[in-house]
Amino acid sequence: MTRPLLLAAAALAVALVPVVAGPYYATLMLPFFGYGLALLGLNLLFGYAGLLSFGHALFVALGAYVAAALTGRGVLAFEAILAAAAAAAALVALPTGALCVRYVKIYFGMLTLAFGMLFYSFLLKFYPLTGGDEGMPVRRPRLLGQAFADLDKIGFLTGPFYYYALALLALGTLLMWRVAHSPFGLCLRAGRENAVKAECVGVHVRRLRLAAFVLAAVFAAVGGALLVVPTGLADPLLAYWTHSGNLVFMVLLGGFAHFFGPLLGALVFILLQDQVMSLTPYWRVVFGTILAVVVLFFPRGLMGMLDPRGARA
Amino acid sequence: MTPLLEARDVVKRYGDFRALDGVSLRLAPGEFVSVIGPNGAGKTTLVNVLSGLLRPSAGTVRFKGRDVTGLGPIRLARLGLVRSFQLVHVFPALTVEETLAVAVVSRLGRTRRLLARLSADAEVRRQVREVAELFGLAERLGQSARTLPQGDKKLLDVASAFALHPEVILLDEPTSGVSTREKHAVMDVLVAAAKRIGVQAILQVEHDLDIVFGYSDRIVALHQGRVLADGPPDALRRDAQVVAAVLGRPPA
Amino acid sequence: MLGGVFHAAVLFLVAAGLQLVFGVQKILNLACGSFYALGAYTGVSLVQWALGAGLPRPAFLPVLLAAGAALAVLGPPVERVLRATYERDESFQLLLTFALVLIFEDVIRVVWGTAPHQLGGDVYLAYGRIPVGRVTVPVYNLLVIVAAGLIALGMGLLLARTRFGRIVRAAAENRRMAAALGVDMARVSTRVFTLGVGLGTVGGALVIPATAAVNEMGIELIVEAFAVVVIGGLGSMRGALVGALIVGLLKALAIAVYPEAEMLAIYLVVIAVLVFRPAGLFARAAA
Repeated sequence: MTRPLLLAAAALAVALVPVVAGPYYATLMLPFFGYGLALLGLNLLFGYAGLLSFGHALFVALGAYVAAALTGRGVLAFEAILAAAAAAAALVALPTGALCVRYVKIYFGMLTLAFGMLFYSFLLKFYPLTGGDEGMPVRRPRLLGQAFADLDKIGFLTGPFYYYALALLALGTLLMWRVAHSPFGLCLRAGRENAVKAECVGVHVRRLRLAAFVLAAVFAAVGGALLVVPTGLADPLLAYWTHSGNLVFMVLLGGFAHFFGPLLGALVFILLQDQVMSLTPYWRVVFGTILAVVVLFFPRGLMGMLDPRGARA
Repeated sequence: MTPLLEARDVVKRYGDFRALDGVSLRLAPGEFVSVIGPNGAGKTTLVNVLSGLLRPSAGTVRFKGRDVTGLGPIRLARLGLVRSFQLVHVFPALTVEETLAVAVVSRLGRTRRLLARLSADAEVRRQVREVAELFGLAERLGQSARTLPQGDKKLLDVASAFALHPEVILLDEPTSGVSTREKHAVMDVLVAAAKRIGVQAILQVEHDLDIVFGYSDRIVALHQGRVLADGPPDALRRDAQVVAAVLGRPPA
Repeated sequence: MLGGVFHAAVLFLVAAGLQLVFGVQKILNLACGSFYALGAYTGVSLVQWALGAGLPRPAFLPVLLAAGAALAVLGPPVERVLRATYERDESFQLLLTFALVLIFEDVIRVVWGTAPHQLGGDVYLAYGRIPVGRVTVPVYNLLVIVAAGLIALGMGLLLARTRFGRIVRAAAENRRMAAALGVDMARVSTRVFTLGVGLGTVGGALVIPATAAVNEMGIELIVEAFAVVVIGGLGSMRGALVGALIVGLLKALAIAVYPEAEMLAIYLVVIAVLVFRPAGLFARAAA
């Protein structure tokens, strides 16, 4: 099959960007790793479980703020930070998810939007804890114990950090691949197709959805931690509902019916945003139009166009 | 002997309307019972209560001697009581193989396996194949359920219920939507599959009296939420009330 | 407290628009906040222009109302675009309205820029103040509350007494049946959507003397509008009224007592409602 070959080629291309395309593009690619992870989680919820969350950014922000809080207190081991972000996400996702998965469709969307904004409000208002609208700075972490002190910011970001993030994304992709193709993944999809029938066949739909919710949250938080290292700042706007909306946009753009759709969506969104913003500050009207066009004419997204037969139904 | 499945004085009220008004029936091992009655008699409501989708307003449902009233379809399926649907219920986007796999995975208790590779699970594939063959769906394993002809969708629905190796199965109009010519063929497949899999008792709701009288050990006639008659086919044929209310005229 | 009722009045208008559209078309319009914002900005510009052209100050209210109502013309074309997603999964409708949110955000930026726009305090207080209890309240606030009340009454009458209202209620109960009975669903959809949009734009226009029009007002309002809709029950007009009152008053209370907890209080109520009465306080029985 050519599929593994294509994947390997793509991975290689991404890996070579800092070497071949220079620091500008390498820096541009950095958000791709964080968003890629977050979107893999989001699509588990949307593409597989059929739940559209408008509050996924909550967990991205959570991961970001955990990273800020820990590096601010001198905990610089990135592995510890990632583990903490994952744990925090799981802790928050369990009760919120337990409530949210009792509902479907619009109610689920509204509830998740509400929780996301609740978190945003918390980040904004509790200044002493979170730095309010100024956000919280994120210091350079140590990767695998190394500080790379001899490298300046760009050197660090486009060098060790780039490849660390890429490796993390690769690991996350592998993990999510296994989950999506597991009995659990199949039962999730069955729950999406027909929840009543799934239950009548003995599948505990709600519990599986909760598990998916928590897993998605963990991926988002790890992605969030990755996202803020380059920018150096955790900002409340990370949790705003329009940020969640953008995440969904990316998934739709790439194609929710394909495993790799979200990754493609993240990549295209980031590159496109860069291009559009260099032409006009009004990127929203352009992207809004693109989203409308995708929804109306290409609901299966880019992967739907590139590989129509490779889609899950 | 304890009946396998038992409904005791089940009442289901919707406001003032009583869909079920004190229905009692029993299903013993080895029995094939049909529930008949005109539309609105409460047949599907009864199946919904028995299969845990509806909580009765009063009365109990017992399965293998244990009170399972309102336990819900998930628990009941695990305990060995499953159902199929009158209006076809499939997983439209899943293939036949995937649909059956869901049931098999559920039965094997593997629904929570997050990291196992389903395609590598030989046990699941073997069982899926087995059930598919029993129902004549083996050729269509790769086809997505929404593209199946109506009759095969029905079979798939029933097959996935059977795939759970239940002890009792409730069939809600298993031959509805199937052409008259094929109804017997479908029923024969069902009965053979049940025997093969080890289903101990079957309860079906059915309109086609030909089928009802041809396959049932016992018939329960429902009328306006009440049991009008409950007995072997011959007894019902002779019961004038049943004939008038339910059968219309004596079957040919 | 009265500030809370004022805020509730405006919220009601937006929420009523949301409920109406959801009830009939089952669309949850994420862009309702955008229409609200458009109404606000247009209201400011129109009044400023009118005042500059010699309009006496007390006449600004009708101009505001006119601005809001006039924007309802956006209804039919937007509905036309949304129509393509009616038969599809709701996720696509949500996303399409989100696309509108993005587009309108930039449209507002292009036309009005990023600085806040507001009418001067002299306009706001053109009707003077009135003592109510121990506080003095701008008469304008009271006028808006009355206006919202009148509109609520009007909506109630519209839905209960007119032919259009009956059709709307029938369509909300059972769309297919209504269509089978010969109702022109396309026209009903357009009219209902336009009415919904109009309610939102009028709401935005009316809030303008009391607050400034800022870029984020649209996306911020959504969250409160959703709270109203969840508390009141999706699709219910009465729910919109009660929900708006609850949210408005709660907000005023929180601001007075513990400003940090403003949104928290609202969301706690939302969550409580969802846990104990998931369909909201006044949900319709029909799907």
